[in-house]
Amino acid sequence: MILPVGPIHPGLKEPLRLKLKTQGEKVLSAEIDYGYVHRGIERIMEGKTWQKAIYLSERVCGICSYIHTQTFAETFEKIAGEQAPLRAQYLRVLTNELDRIQSHFIANSTYFKALEHETLFMYMLSLREPIMDAIELLTGNRVNMGWNVVGGVRMDAKETHLQQIKEIILKLESGYDKYVEMFEQGPLVGLRSHDVGKMSREQAIKARAVGPIGRASGISYDFREDHPTYRDHLDFNVIWRKEGDNFARTMNRFDEVPESIKLIKQVIDNIPSGDVRKKIDIPAGYGEWSNEAPRGEVRYMIESNGNLIRKASIRTPSIMNIDACAKYMLKDVATVADAVATYASVDPCIACAERVVIIDESGQERNFDGIHNIQLE
Amino acid sequence: MLNAVKDVIRKSSIHVCLINTGGCNGCDIEVVALLSPRYDLEQYGIYVHNNPREADVILITGAVSEQWRDKLIRIYNKAPQPKIVVALGNCPLTGDVFNQEGCSVYAPVSDFIPVDAEVSGCPPRPSEILAAILAVGPDAIAAKGRQK
Ligand code: SF4
Repeated sequence: MILPVGPIHPGLKEPLRLKLKTQGEKVLSAEIDYGYVHRGIERIMEGKTWQKAIYLSERVCGICSYIHTQTFAETFEKIAGEQAPLRAQYLRVLTNELDRIQSHFIANSTYFKALEHETLFMYMLSLREPIMDAIELLTGNRVNMGWNVVGGVRMDAKETHLQQIKEIILKLESGYDKYVEMFEQGPLVGLRSHDVGKMSREQAIKARAVGPIGRASGISYDFREDHPTYRDHLDFNVIWRKEGDNFARTMNRFDEVPESIKLIKQVIDNIPSGDVRKKIDIPAGYGEWSNEAPRGEVRYMIESNGNLIRKASIRTPSIMNIDACAKYMLKDVATVADAVATYASVDPCIACAERVVIIDESGQERNFDGIHNIQLE
Repeated sequence: MLNAVKDVIRKSSIHVCLINTGGCNGCDIEVVALLSPRYDLEQYGIYVHNNPREADVILITGAVSEQWRDKLIRIYNKAPQPKIVVALGNCPLTGDVFNQEGCSVYAPVSDFIPVDAEVSGCPPRPSEILAAILAVGPDAIAAKGRQK
């Protein structure tokens, strides 16, 4: 039987259609339909200056909105062959890690909601609120921050605010283990999570899974390792696991939070003084830049004619992870409830994933980003 | 008498269905933040689930994308009377930054379904969303229910 889930469904947070092929309670395979929130961002970006397009890049995704603007700005800095001032780079790391923490909390809370574990769901959300306060202190906004510009960040952070953020972070750190233990040792959540939705390392590589999803299956790679600020000035560990099941994915996100806390403390203690913004003249050219978003690699490919954007292409992590979920994790899952939990464990973010790819019969892949009337025949 | 009882019940138990019709997710996340212990939406008798068939309040976040042009009205019709629609964020009001040349959004939402309340902001703060639902929700539902 084909069991359609969505696009609006109590189990889903965002519009997407999940077609589960079931036999009795068992899920044999799954298919995913996208396209409910396609806005054509890449197309709108064409012919705009960066000052206008950076707002669009922020609104690719509301959960990890910060990293999109950073990658956008760094792509332009790459085209110009320059770097932001060091203080701005540190502030970017600070915001990025705060954003990562809140994103991981909301991802885990969604997973616990899918398991109907209300207690942990509420705990995760209450841990997240102080982080949102910290983000608001720093940038002035909770979700779409408008904090990055090409050549730095928009405004300087006050020393008192940095200290307040540090207090928030220390408070989070002091009580954090309790919540991890609740999940790690909890017998019932354990039963629902261990060995459910498994994906092996080979499968993860085939599906190009990235971020915590890939790392939970044994791909020990994090794009932050290659980022100049992290590589040259800061110290952190890449968290990865081998199991590749729902438990590993959730634990991976849990374990990345202390690393982010470590990074934030380093940034606040060692932040250099100086400018936070410099003027960069952008030449004509093409640039690519990747960053580690909370969900994995986000890549911007931008061609500029010096003033206007000629072509922009955005590659977001969710699309690969959701594909990996449909192809490998949702094979032979014991129950429909487990299938929904597995889907939630991938931390799907549909707003990111809306790129139009049309594959014609010869197998050639062509990208039509943002055509006005999409003909789906 | 019956109406009075119905009024009380409708006012004190509001079911909310959240529909993202093509936004960036930011508004949805702020609605999720409303569930957190800090705001605790459920103490007001508001329950967020994504089931249109039981909804009293339909929250629309996002401009209308291609796929939603015909589906939105179908979902709206599935919700039982009385129902109110709250458009959340700049997206359903104007299309926000997406409503530019070459886009594939068809804002505003009021072209497709009747909208009872609008909250602007990109995204609005959780407290503003809560205030909006509480301000229009109970009375509007009760009033609409009496008309029937
Ligand atoms: S109003 Fe702003 S935050 Fe809300 S969905 Fe639209 S772009 Fe995102």
